[in-house]
Amino acid sequence: MRVSSEQGLLRGVALLRVLAIVALAACLAAAGCTNNPYPDEDRDRTVLYSSFSEAPKTLDPAVAYTTAEHVITGNVYDTLLEYHYLKRPYQLIGGLAEAVPEPRQLADGRQSYRFRLRPGITFHDDPCFALGGEGRRTREVVAADVAFALARLADPAVNSPVVSSFAQVQGFGEFGSRLAELRRADRGFARLPAHEQYARAGGIAGVLVHGPRELEIVLASPNAQILYWFAMPFTAPVAWEAVAFYDGKEGRASFADHTVGTGPYRLAVYDKQYRLVLERNQAWYGHVPANRDAPGAVFPSEIDPADVAAGRLDPAYAGRLMPFVDRIQFSREREDIPRFNKFLQGYYDDGGIIKESFDAVIQGDRLSPAMAARGMRLDKEVEPTIFYVGFNMEDKVVGAPAGERGRKLRQAMSLAVDSRQYLDLFLNGRGVPAQSPLPPGIFGYDTAYKNPFRQHDVARARQLLAEAGYRNGIDPATNTRLRISFDTSATTAAANLQFEFLASAWRQIGLDVEINATTYNQFQDKIRRGAYQIFIWGWVADFPDPENFLFLLECQSARSKSGGPNTANFCDPEFDRLYREMKDMPSDGRRAAVIRRMLEILERERPWIELYHREDYILSHAWLVNSKPMGISYPAYKYKDVRPELRARLQEEWNAPMRWPLYLALILVVAATVPAIRTYYRERL
Amino acid sequence: MLAYLVRRVAYGALTVLGVLLLLFVLFFAVTDPDDIARKAVGERARPEVYAQWKVNHGYDKPLFVNRAYAASDARRYTDTLLAEHFRRMLTFDFGRSDADDSPISRRLWQGAGPSLTLTVPLFVLGLVAGVALALFVAFFRETYIDRAVLVLCMLTMSVAALLYIIAGQYLVGMLLKWFPISGFDPDPSVAARFVALPVLIGVVAGIGADVRFLRTIFVEEMSRDYVRTARAKGCGDARVMVAHVLRNALIPILTNIVMAIPFLFTGALLLESFFGIPGLGSLTVEAIQGNDFSTLRTMVYLGALLFILGQILTDISYALADPRVRLG
Repeated sequence: MRVSSEQGLLRGVALLRVLAIVALAACLAAAGCTNNPYPDEDRDRTVLYSSFSEAPKTLDPAVAYTTAEHVITGNVYDTLLEYHYLKRPYQLIGGLAEAVPEPRQLADGRQSYRFRLRPGITFHDDPCFALGGEGRRTREVVAADVAFALARLADPAVNSPVVSSFAQVQGFGEFGSRLAELRRADRGFARLPAHEQYARAGGIAGVLVHGPRELEIVLASPNAQILYWFAMPFTAPVAWEAVAFYDGKEGRASFADHTVGTGPYRLAVYDKQYRLVLERNQAWYGHVPANRDAPGAVFPSEIDPADVAAGRLDPAYAGRLMPFVDRIQFSREREDIPRFNKFLQGYYDDGGIIKESFDAVIQGDRLSPAMAARGMRLDKEVEPTIFYVGFNMEDKVVGAPAGERGRKLRQAMSLAVDSRQYLDLFLNGRGVPAQSPLPPGIFGYDTAYKNPFRQHDVARARQLLAEAGYRNGIDPATNTRLRISFDTSATTAAANLQFEFLASAWRQIGLDVEINATTYNQFQDKIRRGAYQIFIWGWVADFPDPENFLFLLECQSARSKSGGPNTANFCDPEFDRLYREMKDMPSDGRRAAVIRRMLEILERERPWIELYHREDYILSHAWLVNSKPMGISYPAYKYKDVRPELRARLQEEWNAPMRWPLYLALILVVAATVPAIRTYYRERL
Repeated sequence: MLAYLVRRVAYGALTVLGVLLLLFVLFFAVTDPDDIARKAVGERARPEVYAQWKVNHGYDKPLFVNRAYAASDARRYTDTLLAEHFRRMLTFDFGRSDADDSPISRRLWQGAGPSLTLTVPLFVLGLVAGVALALFVAFFRETYIDRAVLVLCMLTMSVAALLYIIAGQYLVGMLLKWFPISGFDPDPSVAARFVALPVLIGVVAGIGADVRFLRTIFVEEMSRDYVRTARAKGCGDARVMVAHVLRNALIPILTNIVMAIPFLFTGALLLESFFGIPGLGSLTVEAIQGNDFSTLRTMVYLGALLFILGQILTDISYALADPRVRLG
């Protein structure tokens, strides 16, 4: 059948009409487009936007240990003590407790600390309190709630990862054993609510409740560091009602997924797959008139002018009642690139720097002009960490059995490693080359101290190696280069590059270092058997005290003896004696002198090659106020504030949609298609 | 037909058992319960904490043979990790996540919604766009439109999915600023804002292969006698293409559709992960990264079940779409 030219024309027009409708729909859709991920009604609210990549596994304060978990628990569960937000070295202040308690010496070498709770502290509003009386939604915190939290730490069923840190609390271990035994012997006992079990088991002998607001902790032997644990959510008061009610049964959440704390924020949304929301606690203890002077409730006045000049702190906040932000919203970002791009668009108020964009953001150790022009701020903070290469001091080649020869070998290997280059190559320079185990910000750290064996000096390393009897790295026993095994459980390509860097540094002085990367379990097995020579390890401090670094080298903590964290198996009687002396001393000149002598021993003996202390680079937008980094994992959101008007204005300025490419693409498609349609119908007609 | 179905279901069941065995062997060949426990409770936990965790999660049993029992005792083989693995999967008792102790069935329910929010529009739009474009280029076959589209299809097929995602986020989210770069909100009134970009990227990334495949079928159908007859009877182009060509090309299209439908539930791994969509694809990626064996085996098991279900449905749909096809 022949198609008339009129029909052909009509079909062509119909096709063009379809194209026009598609184009119009695309234009309309584009007109309503925005890349703002937040609702418009939040535009002017004081909401702080941040992100998280790894979801918390648990919010049980006795178990939560990771930074991702502490971001939530630290803001929801107030602690008896806190760190001063601005002072460095870190200093403890009263939190829920009226003051930092002084130690009291008791008979038999025991020691006690007595805490007095502030008045008017209440738990967050929650239905669990109906267990204590019908219709109840909250109640006042009492000292027994802290005792209950400590009992949970000792409870083997809770599986707290920090239980060993409380071993010196009198009767702590015995209480855990007693509980386990009672549960084994009596199934009825095991079915009772936790608080009843604890009561029947007799509680912890060294945790004494003297009335509703007084709590005494008795230690079997002095331990000044115990106070730091009271600045962490592990020891925050826990309501027995919350543990009993949130048991994960009959549709109720488990206590690991539901928080009932006393903090400045309460958890309003907990969907760890995509969003966590904290909302201001209107009944926070700081709002009770009797607590208006509490150091943890008002913004501190000890503001460093340098922080003001850098835009980190606003002096107008001094003395103001906290918290300032109504809501904190954490959105889940599994990948670094979208997270960083959303920060650049202004949809996150703070963020880190991804390595893909490091050079674009940082130039010459400062913000690039493009970033600075956006009003961004770069804050750096050295974290209380130490990353090191360790020697197995029980090894007959690199360890103590090799005597002076082994010591000189370790000193030579220490001199061959250039930490600065290591940091530049693998961490974009984000770190401080370490001179000792102690990082900046920790008492005992001395900026002027230069460890003579942590300076990169290949010539001296070669000389020491020759003095050790390994001239040019040759082992006279075999007449070949001395072979040393470098054991690790990291098998990634990135990690392998780092190990290669170290191996090539030692190759430079003639040593043959073989990298033996195995699975974690195989590596652990080697450690257990003592079948290793050198290894690389890191430590992030639990609390900012030199003891929490130097105990890593105490003989009692040696891996081979007690399975402790002293993987180098370093044992030096003088070091141990000084450690015991230093441990419970106040942080004064005498303690500094003792620490200096300990560092001298490490300097000479070289059980470690201290590599670096990690440095955190934090980017903040201009509208984020009071964002002084803390370094340690610590909840500081109550100190922060945002300026929503500035944020809204800049977000709009930075994110105006660009629509012309869509219109251009549509024109191109139409321009390319119309001639084809016309040609087709012309040929067919 | 019934005999055929029974046979297919039996084959499917055997395949599922094989998948479960393979999954168990492969997983425990590269890791062991200590590794899983270490990931779950953290590096710094005490040995007693690891041990307790393993007891709580049933990882304290031996893998294949429990030598605590006598050789004649059946529990020698039933009180093992392998037997427990099969029992749990076959009774759909998925247990709790190794990573955070949450019930896996709850996580599946929570993840299904976000996954479907992404995969259903992606599937429907991809199908409609692919069929429409394939019909269009088939209609204009051997013109420069046809050739240009085929070249573009080849180009789109040659680019890695990850590049589409990163480039798409940068171009559309960062430069053009049309949609959020990532994120999700279950509120239906704003969910479209978050899934628009991953859907757009998913459609573009998949359209090349679809158009090439469908065009070949359509062009072949267009050369058949019934098309000439339809034209001779005065059918318009649109009617010929949609009512005749498309309808007769349905069988291969159905194969693709029915095979794809079950996987809508398991989500899109890369898209969900990069766009922060808390679906089942993200759940799977997280389980792989976190040594979460309980969740991973559930996802693989469900994937295998859905795959087999898809195959059976495909065969049934053949018979429904074309009465000449008889199963048996």
